[in-house]
Amino acid sequence: MATSQDILEALADYQVQCNENQRLRKMQRDWSKLLHFVAEDTGDKFTMNVVKGEIISFESGTNGTPDIIVTTTSENFCDMFWGDLNPSQKYLQGEIRVKASQEDVVRLDAITMIIWPDA
Amino acid sequence: MGSDPAKIKAEALSDFSKFIGPMKVRTMKAAGLDIIEDKREGASVWDITGKKYIDCQTGSGIMNVGRRNPDIIDALKKALDTYDIGVFLLCSKPKADLAKKLAEITPGDLKCTIFGVGGGEANDAAIKIARGYTMKKEIIYAEKAYHGHTGFALSAIGRDAYKEPFEPLIPGFKMVPFGDIEAIKKTITDDTAAIILEPIQGEGGINIPPDEYLPAVRKLCDDHEILLILDEIQTGFGRTGRMFASEHWGVVPDIMTVAKSLGGGIYPISATIFKEEIQDFFIPHPFIHLSTFGGSDLGCIVGMAVIDYIQKHNLLDHTEKMGRKFRAGFDSLLKEYPSLLLEVRQKGLMMGLQYTNESIGPRLTKKMAERGVIAIYTGNDPSICRLMPPLVITPEEVDFVLNALNDSMKELSKEAGLGKND
Repeated sequence: MATSQDILEALADYQVQCNENQRLRKMQRDWSKLLHFVAEDTGDKFTMNVVKGEIISFESGTNGTPDIIVTTTSENFCDMFWGDLNPSQKYLQGEIRVKASQEDVVRLDAITMIIWPDA
Repeated sequence: MGSDPAKIKAEALSDFSKFIGPMKVRTMKAAGLDIIEDKREGASVWDITGKKYIDCQTGSGIMNVGRRNPDIIDALKKALDTYDIGVFLLCSKPKADLAKKLAEITPGDLKCTIFGVGGGEANDAAIKIARGYTMKKEIIYAEKAYHGHTGFALSAIGRDAYKEPFEPLIPGFKMVPFGDIEAIKKTITDDTAAIILEPIQGEGGINIPPDEYLPAVRKLCDDHEILLILDEIQTGFGRTGRMFASEHWGVVPDIMTVAKSLGGGIYPISATIFKEEIQDFFIPHPFIHLSTFGGSDLGCIVGMAVIDYIQKHNLLDHTEKMGRKFRAGFDSLLKEYPSLLLEVRQKGLMMGLQYTNESIGPRLTKKMAERGVIAIYTGNDPSICRLMPPLVITPEEVDFVLNALNDSMKELSKEAGLGKND
């Protein structure tokens, strides 16, 4: 089980990885979404705001009306944001659940592929 | 490259990823569908490593007569002794033969044909004809509709994700909910040229309209001098147990588009078939819509062989029988797995399984692949699995698919994440 602080640290690294990747930024420049992350084992929740492909903020708690809701365990969130697990695999095992359009599900997977091609 | 199938497969996937698209490979791998098609026969396809699959995707319905049907292959081989694609500007016997055959087998007074290569091209032609003939501009289309990715057809797709990156699209297209006649009434104006619909939406999730819908659309079109375009690209050539799905409701469109199974999975060809009076548009413009490869001589010969095969082998009756066999199995699954399976939508062998939430489609796709069945959720809605096996599927193969579904659902019902998808 991961703490809220663990997830926030992983999110901070994920933000850097995404925002410093120019290929990803260019690819995602038409993508502006509000994401909610729900850790089902701890009840911790987080909000991430992506504007034109840039993660402009993330914070504890859920704010606004999300375009995408990702639900999994706190441990999976940490592993996912550190690039230590393949989210597609976990999604297909039912361990990660995504409430979003199919296009956004593919976008999330594309981000992973660009940042961690070997994940 | 050696002859080790695993190595050939790995290299093919790697090259596909590098030179065609990495996300396609990634998505297929995740779904357990990183198959390199090798041998194909009837309802089956073998991965290059030797694993056999029953194909319930069939390129969204291009293999009605089965994969590598020997009769169709023989017809093509024989044609190659004499023919090639042909010169599109010249007249040809194979083109004339197939156009005449299409006039015979399509309902009502559909008579004239423009040939193309693919479904999008056929729908482009249909919409162009509608605008040209009526001299009106507006086209009404349905939510969740799928008509192809070319210019006019793309404008009539009922899914924003396919369209938004390419806007502005062709103006004058108005979307209405599928199955809602009142919505069409409110949308019609004096400038409405045509209404384009699939009799049953395929990509949209095997959406079967209420029985009164298509006849009511037909009447509206007649009352307002609007052309009715029915896209039978997925539903045509026996898929629903009739040669064309519109026959279930006794509706004759002004323009019908067909493609996919007309080519028998062997040679691409499409057709836009329309009523004789619409030919008047082409009298002063005989060369206004051309297609270099459309209605090639080889494609027309294959198309004739496909229609002959469907008729000679009574595929419509067989489709009805296999459809009933599937339905009996689905009814058992509905009782056994109410937490997974919500509804079955079916006409003949055009079948959709509505799952209880959208995480189930991708997960069952993977489990079915593991069990040797290609059955993929629809692009519009991952909570719906589309099953469109070849119409030549045998009773034993139907049992195989149903058993795979049962085993997959049994396994899935023990896993996590089956609650509300949030």
